[in-house]
Amino acid sequence: MKSREQEYKEIFIAEALEYYDALNRHISTLEKQPDDERTLAEVFRLLHNLKANSKAIGYLHISDVSHKLETAFSLVRSKELSFSDEVVTVLFDGIDLLGELISAIDKDEEKEPDPVLLRNLDIIVENLSESTIELAKVQKYSSSKNLSLSELVYIQIKKLDHLMNLVGELMIDRDRILSLSKELGSNELKAVSSHLYRITEDLQYSVMDARLVNIGSLFNKFPRIVRDIATAEKKEVDLTLSGQDIQIDRNILQIMTDSLLHLVRNAVTHGLELPAERERKGKPRAGKLRMSAQSDRENVLIELTDDGSGMDFKQIKRTAVERQLVTADVAKGLTDAEVLSFLFEPGFSTAREVTEFSGRGVGLDVVKNAIDSIGGRLTVDSEKGRGTTFTMLLPTSIAVKGALLFEVDEIFYAIPLIHTQQVVALDKDEIHEIGEVMIANLKGENVTVVYLHELLNADEADMRLGDKDRLKGQVQNIVVVAYNNRKLGLIVDKLYRQQDIVVKPMSKPLDRIDLYGGVTLLGTGKVCLVLDVPATTRYFMNRRQ
Amino acid sequence: MAKQTKTDNTAAAPGLGTGKTPASMSGGAASPQERPQAEGQQESEQMIHLIVFKLGVESYAIRIEQVKEVTVTPAITRMPRTPHFVKGVANIRGDIIAIMDLEDRFHIKPAPLTEDSNPNITYTLVIEARDYSIGVAVKEMPQSLNLAVSKIDRAPALLQAVNINENFIEGLAKTSDRLIVVLDMYKILTQDEISELTE
Repeated sequence: MKSREQEYKEIFIAEALEYYDALNRHISTLEKQPDDERTLAEVFRLLHNLKANSKAIGYLHISDVSHKLETAFSLVRSKELSFSDEVVTVLFDGIDLLGELISAIDKDEEKEPDPVLLRNLDIIVENLSESTIELAKVQKYSSSKNLSLSELVYIQIKKLDHLMNLVGELMIDRDRILSLSKELGSNELKAVSSHLYRITEDLQYSVMDARLVNIGSLFNKFPRIVRDIATAEKKEVDLTLSGQDIQIDRNILQIMTDSLLHLVRNAVTHGLELPAERERKGKPRAGKLRMSAQSDRENVLIELTDDGSGMDFKQIKRTAVERQLVTADVAKGLTDAEVLSFLFEPGFSTAREVTEFSGRGVGLDVVKNAIDSIGGRLTVDSEKGRGTTFTMLLPTSIAVKGALLFEVDEIFYAIPLIHTQQVVALDKDEIHEIGEVMIANLKGENVTVVYLHELLNADEADMRLGDKDRLKGQVQNIVVVAYNNRKLGLIVDKLYRQQDIVVKPMSKPLDRIDLYGGVTLLGTGKVCLVLDVPATTRYFMNRRQ
Repeated sequence: MAKQTKTDNTAAAPGLGTGKTPASMSGGAASPQERPQAEGQQESEQMIHLIVFKLGVESYAIRIEQVKEVTVTPAITRMPRTPHFVKGVANIRGDIIAIMDLEDRFHIKPAPLTEDSNPNITYTLVIEARDYSIGVAVKEMPQSLNLAVSKIDRAPALLQAVNINENFIEGLAKTSDRLIVVLDMYKILTQDEISELTE
């Protein structure tokens, strides 16, 4: 395994060489059409990126030369420097020099930029068009350039998606073959299929790996964004980033982009106080905003913490009661986590009262939906006056996920592990009928439980979710799922092991039924329905009312 | 008498089938049988190839272009909380598709069981819509039929009397011994119908 640093370096070199090729192409165009604005802009962009990238990774001589060239081109662009023969020669030389410096890194050589050339660049920049000072002849060192192709290929994410789907199909067939070989009892087939198993596993991880990008590619955009929002809001913000080198599926990160932006904007606008107010409260003037990523088993945990004013629990309760999400009596007894879960109710946030007074929670349901769509989990924790933390647990990969398998009424179901909290077996006597629901005490916490068979299969008119008599047997297997800061225990008929499944999206016309996140094929060839925890929880809440 | 027209190889070994349409496998077997009816027509008469199946006691048909394959219905996994006419999902050659019951869909009373029918075996017509497939389960083995286009009566007045939304019916086909309702599956699968599934 290559080190991260080595990998960065290779990516830098490959990109830089590509920039170099493009620069060569563009400057040749410019020589013929010096007024081509678009090409000029492109050259400018390439040099600018090269400067930024080389500076970031520590190749200062490259960033230095890029900077000088960039300055020269900016003068050409603003028509302060004419694209004369002399200037063109110096610029060509400068770009060649860049190419050599980049190749030198590739070969692990130390190479210093030619001082004569650097001086020439300075001369054309400083003296502008009145080139009274003689430009020194630069020794032409690259008459016979080596042609080389980049070590990197760019690939459309669509192609990787397709590849991932194919791997998914292959895994399903592999599991089928494996289980057939056990049934048939042929040793040869067993050997071949276990080899096939290893190869597909390798293939799966390779394809998954190819889709991974650093979270930093998103995180690193935030210092600037936060600065802009803070300036507009007249606030001081101290942003710290960590875990930028944690890797995650590119499509998942793409979906997270807007959500994270949303949360950051909320945190700066509504969470963090103005400097004067912070001082009054005895906090440092600059608000702290921390964005971190860390690996959590197969998932990635992203946290966004601010040390601002926190959520206004009273206001949230008031609004929840006003919106008839909960009765005033019940609202009094709610735990903090339950109160915060109202923030994710659709439409809750858009209420004017909330945006004007407590201010937080604008469009949080949108964020939650985005995270739901990739099978992740969003939780929020807040302390009044101390700040708020949003925690996002995201799968590293979309297609393959760990899931818990179980059976209800002879149908196989799976729930992604990201949503399961624990699995417990309880005696029927430990489950209590309270009102219209069943409650069980799990490790000192009262959790609502529901018999999944009743929820899924009972006639809707005759559904009795609070009736223990509907349970079968004495010992009840409960899968506790968490969603939206709430816990719900699902009583299942039979519990199986957990395993990695490839979730196939529901094909039309069933794709609009949101109770199911998809289907998967088990090794036995049986179809297994993947329950969508958010939709199941919602369905339960609706039935209860 | 028409039973042997059905494609034996698909019916016998659904899991190992090649995915060919019944047209390629059964077209030859079916046409000699029904041809006498068509032969009266001129050679240039345009023909239509139908897959005929029973709903209730009546015969219905779908154009063969809309049918991807016919297979013995594999194990169906029921999907709770879907509309009544969705029997569930089934694994057909690695694709998981929804299986519909058109009798349920159109509120057609099922035919009483006859002695030689086996209630444990049903057949599924896999319909290929624009970007997905869906299965239609039927109780008797579907047959293949070649028919002159002129044999299909598209008179709207006639169709209105039928207890199925007329939009779904392309026409009524007459053969010497029966009347066949020709359905347009694509219309059945149109968007507003599908949205009913979300209930």
